[in-house]
Amino acid sequence: MQVLDRTKIIQEISDLKKTYGDDRSALLPILQDLQETYGYLPDLVMQETAHALEIHPVEVEGVASFYSFFRRKEKQGKYVLRLCQTISCDLAGKVNVARQLENELGIKFGETTKDGMFTLEYTNCLGMCDQGPAMLVNDRLFAKVTPDKVPYIIVDCRRDFLKSDFPKIVPSDVRKSGPILSHDLKPGEGLKAALNHTRAEVIGIIRESGLRGRGGAGFPTAVKWQLAGAAQSDKKYVVCNADEGEPGTFKDRYLLFHHTDMILDGMTIAAYAIGAKKGFFYLRGEYLYLKKYMLEALEIRRKNNLLGKDIAGKKGFDFDIEVRMGAGAYVCGEETALIESLEGYRGEPRNRPPFPVDTGFQKNPTIVNNVETFLDATLICVKGAKWFNEHGTEKSKGTKIFSISGDCEQPGIYELPFGITIAQLLKEVKGENAKAVQIGGASGKCVARKDFNRTIAFEDISSGGSIIVFGPSVDMLKVAINFMEFFVEESCGQCTPCRDGNVKLLEGLKLLEKGRCSVTYLNELMRLAETIQLASKCGLGQSSPNAFLSILENFKSEILGRVPEKA
Amino acid sequence: MAKVLIVDDDPDFVSAVAIVLENAGYKVCKAHSRQEGMQVFDKEQPNLVVLDVMMQEPDDGFVMAQELKARAKVPILMLTSVGQVTGLDFDKDSEMVPVDVFEQKPIMPSVLLERINQLLQ
Ligand SMILES: Cc1cc2nc3c(=O)[nH]c(=O)nc-3n(C[C@H](O)[C@H](O)[C@H](O)COP(=O)(O)O)c2cc1C
Ligand code: SF4
Repeated sequence: MQVLDRTKIIQEISDLKKTYGDDRSALLPILQDLQETYGYLPDLVMQETAHALEIHPVEVEGVASFYSFFRRKEKQGKYVLRLCQTISCDLAGKVNVARQLENELGIKFGETTKDGMFTLEYTNCLGMCDQGPAMLVNDRLFAKVTPDKVPYIIVDCRRDFLKSDFPKIVPSDVRKSGPILSHDLKPGEGLKAALNHTRAEVIGIIRESGLRGRGGAGFPTAVKWQLAGAAQSDKKYVVCNADEGEPGTFKDRYLLFHHTDMILDGMTIAAYAIGAKKGFFYLRGEYLYLKKYMLEALEIRRKNNLLGKDIAGKKGFDFDIEVRMGAGAYVCGEETALIESLEGYRGEPRNRPPFPVDTGFQKNPTIVNNVETFLDATLICVKGAKWFNEHGTEKSKGTKIFSISGDCEQPGIYELPFGITIAQLLKEVKGENAKAVQIGGASGKCVARKDFNRTIAFEDISSGGSIIVFGPSVDMLKVAINFMEFFVEESCGQCTPCRDGNVKLLEGLKLLEKGRCSVTYLNELMRLAETIQLASKCGLGQSSPNAFLSILENFKSEILGRVPEKA
Repeated sequence: MAKVLIVDDDPDFVSAVAIVLENAGYKVCKAHSRQEGMQVFDKEQPNLVVLDVMMQEPDDGFVMAQELKARAKVPILMLTSVGQVTGLDFDKDSEMVPVDVFEQKPIMPSVLLERINQLLQ
């Protein structure tokens, strides 16, 4: 048993407060660092953290229990092996890798080996859907893992990776670039172009371009910036949403690594436009390996006067960015939950209104935008609104970066114009014999062959970029179950329709799997699904039944009347 | 007599304000969106604009105020319930909300006329 030294813990927390600040918003980073030190969060550590931040210990316990990356009871192994359980990795053979991991380590998922070396866990989407099955070992990523590679990975862990044949960074497959990905801008170029204009003019250029948010919802970026710019407050914030948790999405992971400065330029341009002095970069916990690149990029920008005081020589324009890590909660991608998380609370979405543009981080005006939105904004400031909006449709301007995975010959990252039909897209990725395509991730829609002439655009089928192709042999019921398990796990639990309703839908799917569901009951469940969409507070609950409904509508005959496999 | 342009997406509100202003002897022209507002402004060249904020887009009034000020020195009275509807806290500022008076709806006719008189002097 680990013996804990209270005085030492108090000292450590006091040092961490110097780095992260002494208000409540420092809670998550402090807990993350303490878990790194102790391997888990012992009660004493949580109590002392509470005392140091002058909050009740129950508050700390509440936060620690919310995020899946925090461990409260058992010390985690020196190496935590997190295998992705999302549908793309599932289709790529995750089950066999899981089995072999259990065989090699002699433990089940959720357990730690007796020698304290290994913990085995499942995780949701690691953003490697085109190269699955994927696994994260602490902050190291492994792609295309096969059962025969498992023992080698374990040996490498035992050698503390002093010698390893596996690549340190797994490159992304960019299959098709367009005007956005093939830009030739240098760091700071977009920012300097923007600073030649007034704040209102910058927003005017973004408005003229027709840019809509790339995170999925497609809210006009200029409107968000204009409202935050007009709001009255001496403290305003810019937040980059790099929580990329939607199953099947991996474009932000690529953009963060290869277009870092353009994204940071975009955040700085937004800060200038709305009058913010501070920005947060909310990076998902699963992307911890990207943190050091982000920190390096920020440091270089400070040296080059692209962050800090009087940025790029503009008197009075001061702005800096802090990187904050998520801790394994998909719902924290929802912008108000993200803000709660930044403030040091459980990532539970807020009621809206009021909106973050006025009542965001610590009740101050805050804009939250997706990684790709900031990248686009930077390029628009240099190349102009017309350059951007000559692509796309009337209501969905520009090109979009897609993450394409599943049953196609060429999965990877594609830049394609909005308005492309699903059939055209399948031709691009060589997946023409697909029987269905999931557009927009688990919360999106499952589109069957008969609708492949429909377009991907905000006015037809919208998507934050996730496209999963299902080939002729995929069991659509298994797909529905995988998505529903995801939502049951990720619901924050605040509202009954989402918390309990999704469990009922999952139970219904399990009944279908056993071949024990009547059409009458199925119709009841479909009505329940509609109620969940209507009565949930945030986008998670509102969209969680989408896949359930669209799969059942399109594939009823495949799903009904099953004869269960014999055990 | 001075001419006032009223821009608001609520036709009842536009009519009500028009009656108040016409009774006080002003000439009135009307528009119900940012786009229409700019067209009427160019055609009628009013001496003052009474402007709503949330129309087709939630920031239309702010954008229109910026466009108007870039074009002419016309005084603008921003009249809005944006604060109550959204919980947002706005006020005039020189760059993003370049208006001369910022008032919350509902407003008493006497107060509205007083503000307009002041602006036109
Ligand atoms: C459950 C849930 C998860 C979300 N996850 C993300 C995410 O990972 N990244 C993202 O940019 N937006 C995500 N969003 C959308 C955000 O709430 C928000 O609309 C977006 O960050 C706004 O940026 P944009 O206008 O640039 O798209 C999510 C929404 C919900 C409801
Ligand atoms: S809809 Fe679900 S995730 Fe969203 S607030 Fe309600 S319970 Fe939480």
